[in-house]
Amino acid sequence: MVPIIGILASALLIAMIEIPNLLKKNLKREFWLFSILLLIGTVGSILKSLNVNLPNPFDFLTAVYKPFSDFLFGFLE
Amino acid sequence: MKGNVIMEQNTKISSNQFMILVMLFTIGSAILFIPSGQAHYAKQNAWIATILGVVGGLCFIRLYIGIGNLYPHMNLMQLNEKLLGKWVGKSLSLVFLLFLFLTGPASAMFFVGNFITSQIMPSTPVPSIHILFTIVIIMGVYLGLETIGRSAEIMIPWFIFLFMIMVIFVSPQIKWDAVQPILDKGIHPILLPAVSLLSVCTFPLIILLMIFPSCISNSVQAPKAFYTGYLLGGGVLIIIVVLCILILGPGITARSLYPSYTLVKKIDVGDFLQRIEAVMAIMWFISLYFRLTLYCYAIAIGIAQVFNLKEHRPLLLPMGMLLALYSLIVYPSTAYEQTWDTRTWIPYTISIGVFYPLLLLGAAIFRKRSQSS
Repeated sequence: MVPIIGILASALLIAMIEIPNLLKKNLKREFWLFSILLLIGTVGSILKSLNVNLPNPFDFLTAVYKPFSDFLFGFLE
Repeated sequence: MKGNVIMEQNTKISSNQFMILVMLFTIGSAILFIPSGQAHYAKQNAWIATILGVVGGLCFIRLYIGIGNLYPHMNLMQLNEKLLGKWVGKSLSLVFLLFLFLTGPASAMFFVGNFITSQIMPSTPVPSIHILFTIVIIMGVYLGLETIGRSAEIMIPWFIFLFMIMVIFVSPQIKWDAVQPILDKGIHPILLPAVSLLSVCTFPLIILLMIFPSCISNSVQAPKAFYTGYLLGGGVLIIIVVLCILILGPGITARSLYPSYTLVKKIDVGDFLQRIEAVMAIMWFISLYFRLTLYCYAIAIGIAQVFNLKEHRPLLLPMGMLLALYSLIVYPSTAYEQTWDTRTWIPYTISIGVFYPLLLLGAAIFRKRSQSS
């Protein structure tokens, strides 16, 4: 419970620091990108704090680079 | 392309500051774990592999300088758009930045946490270290490139001072016969460690094309600064590997997780000056900090460029949150990390550090030809 409160508090703090500035300068695109990144970060962190297994992007990279990796290490080793 | 990231185009650092940044970026996290991997594959010939890697890397530095000088006022993401067309360029930039964010800063951050918890503060939870380090990094990136450059100028004398102390104090324990036999199994076993060094120290330097040469005030001296910075950084790594082999021997170097830290634990001056490794660790934190900060700065500027944003600063705080999160996810264990760092990291960096600049160069030559005919 404590980590979730901490994550939400920091997300709120980040929003309080940036959003007034974004609205004042009328930066729409920045606002959307900021909100999307913050949302992913907050939801991801909460899931992580609940010990949910989040997908590891490195597994994806391993699968993509497998053929090239095999070729390269066949040569180097 | 007009109107975006105008502010960043006006930030300038001197070529001297750029040199220091390249040096610290090259040393980065490599100073912690490079000797281990080198000694694992090349045994007592690890130092030859390291020298081969650093010298071979000069060709790639030449390539990056060539790419940077194609259109000196543009950064890498603008080059993508210019050379590959708007949509292809933008999508390539986005994929490049996304994966670089995950593989570069997130994995370097893992090393910060793993190093501190395994060597210095074993009972501190990793997330707290990641969060604190992320806050400092994001503060640095928020203040901009000029501040990063100036702080690098302030930090580098400390780095060099600690490094000299380390070299001087461990050198009495050198055992020269540890290097023999030289090249007993021929040149083949040292190829993989040399490529591994390139993949950690040289290929990621491509991201510095985000600031080179457009953000450097003295553009005539910028290429020289790139070479010098790279060679200084490479020199530090060569000295570290040589000392590890000569003092710890290839066996212990290959087995320990952070051999350079094991090395400074050996410092013993007259049974009096001992166990000063925690002070020496400041050296590591300086190089890791600047590597992470430059990664984050370049990626934030790049994303702002891709989405035509006027400011990159609003993205930094959420990016910091994602960095702290992903640095906990990407490596589930040290065993996973060691397999991934050889089997996937090396091919991945070859694709971004060799194929990608060659693609840009090819596109540039093609464009110039079709313009002149």
